[in-house]
Amino acid sequence: MLSWSGKKWIYITTAMLLVFLILFPFDWFLGQYTYLMITIGISTMVTVGLCLLMGYTGQISLGQAAFYGLGAYFSAVLSTKYGYNPWLAMLIAAVVTGAFAYIIGYPMFRLRGNYLAIATLAVGMILGILFNRLSNYTGGPDGMAGIPHLSIGGFAFDTNFKRYFLVWFFCLAVLFLSQNIVRSRTGRALRAIHGNEAAAESLGINVAQFKVKVFVLSAVYASLAGSLYAYHANHIGPSSFDFLASVKFVVMAVIGGLASIWGAIFGAGTTRLLSDQILLGFNNNQVDIIIYGLILMLIMILMPEGLFVSIKSGTLWLRTNWRALPSIMKTKRDELPARIKYLFGRLLSTRLWRKPEP
Amino acid sequence: MSQPILETKNLTKAFGGLIAVDKVDLTIDTGKITAIIGPNGAGKTTLFNLMAGVYRPSSGEIFFDGKSLKYRPWYAKAIPPKLKQRIFKGKLQRYASAHRRAALGIARTFQHVNLFGNMTVLENIMTGQHPRSKYGFFAAALRLPKAKHEEEKISLNATKFLNMVGLGQHAHQNALSLPLGQQKLLAIARALATEPKLILLDEPGAGLNALEKRELSDLIRRIRDMGITVVLVEHDMPLVMGIAEWIIVLDSGQKIAEGTAAQVQKDRRVIAAYLGEEIDDAEG
Repeated sequence: MLSWSGKKWIYITTAMLLVFLILFPFDWFLGQYTYLMITIGISTMVTVGLCLLMGYTGQISLGQAAFYGLGAYFSAVLSTKYGYNPWLAMLIAAVVTGAFAYIIGYPMFRLRGNYLAIATLAVGMILGILFNRLSNYTGGPDGMAGIPHLSIGGFAFDTNFKRYFLVWFFCLAVLFLSQNIVRSRTGRALRAIHGNEAAAESLGINVAQFKVKVFVLSAVYASLAGSLYAYHANHIGPSSFDFLASVKFVVMAVIGGLASIWGAIFGAGTTRLLSDQILLGFNNNQVDIIIYGLILMLIMILMPEGLFVSIKSGTLWLRTNWRALPSIMKTKRDELPARIKYLFGRLLSTRLWRKPEP
Repeated sequence: MSQPILETKNLTKAFGGLIAVDKVDLTIDTGKITAIIGPNGAGKTTLFNLMAGVYRPSSGEIFFDGKSLKYRPWYAKAIPPKLKQRIFKGKLQRYASAHRRAALGIARTFQHVNLFGNMTVLENIMTGQHPRSKYGFFAAALRLPKAKHEEEKISLNATKFLNMVGLGQHAHQNALSLPLGQQKLLAIARALATEPKLILLDEPGAGLNALEKRELSDLIRRIRDMGITVVLVEHDMPLVMGIAEWIIVLDSGQKIAEGTAAQVQKDRRVIAAYLGEEIDDAEG
């Protein structure tokens, strides 16, 4: 029930985002970062699945990189060793990953909270070990090379420029579909499960089934992203699908805001930027995992709604209240209006920011 | 006299050695307001949860609308009869789970309102329409015409139930921002949105003030007038005596009396159960 001015802002931001995405890979714009942007698109697809699972349904998965890896390896093995059409291999990978998630999902989602987290972690670890050890198929720790490019008819996606559009087509499609799901009967059912499982069950929502279904959906998203990654990089190794990769996906989802579909782009963007550009020198001595942990902690404490959502609600508030800002700056903490206390309450109530009492 | 909406036969629930509900036979008449009362620990809540599908009975059966809530699962046919004999001892039966009962037409509310805090008031009620709509992930993702059509119906119906409990002006507020009295009304509206034949209310009066209680009794009567059978488990005697047309009294897991408010109030066993008075067997 948005007013026209609210709708107008949505249209304007969507249009700006689209124009930015279309112009991005051209050399005169940000062409040199096309490769980075492709990985962001791929990560976004995984993150959206995780948002649906974690933010909307309130479940957790610490093994999402394993499904990402399943997609990548199935596509790679089928298309290089068995000569399948890459598109067909991608489809088979998605179906097999979905079926796998369905089979392990049924017993796993009888668990809750920390136990579920550990179970998903274990699934991720087991698959990670398999990627390493099934060296006849996967090439072991060295990984696989020579994965073909995707092509439609005679048109091969053989440059970053072409692949950029392919990946972002898939990414935006996934975002769009997820957005529709969230705003539907199904989305309400998922949020109901997050809100209160007993109440959801009493309203005729088959809680166990919905949990497994959304888990399968997120696995399929991850698998598609993995396939795209394999065809994009032409070379895959097990280190891209290990526990750290799963943690990175969780960090992306958390930065973007767990219950925010479009925040996924933002989360994936900042995390990828951090890991591929800024922290590149740190990943040998594993300093980067400390930094991800720190980011995760700080965001969970200070802005549990996610960086993206906090910035969004912050700007929304500023747009309506900017006139009153100078007077607000002068007032003391205890006299601040309730709305500000709500927005920055956690920040203000943290001891770091509070002056010691005399 | 029409067929009872809900019937229990020999219904028993034991938690280990404790028998919470002991061979209870009761019938809930269609279109009436029935109250289940009893002192603390009488097994009211257990009975309620058995009816709502939270617990599985240890033995006995529940009939809803003339049909047993036991059913044979789809895989029963797939298992060879010999194996069935050995593993399941020929009793491969399941009790309809809570979500299945909601689809059949049994709605319930909770003592602790259990609203969805991550939704608005209207969305809470729209969620209640879940069993009366069908479309799933696929139709939702692609926004098929079916989904759009059903979604329109859902929001229309939800608004109807919202206005029925008089929360129209709070539609887009967060559900937990309402005061407790209105939260309870919202919980009832959410249960009504499943379009049930029978609604089970778990202590609807708890924590309400006198005015809110009057509104509540009013609402309960209106629900009855809609043709929905109401069962309430309640501690608040004035509320129960005011609205219930039939009262069932439980004590230590057994049904000790039933009847209209006047009949129950005079029953010696009921008085004994509440006041702990000794009674002679001849009189009981």
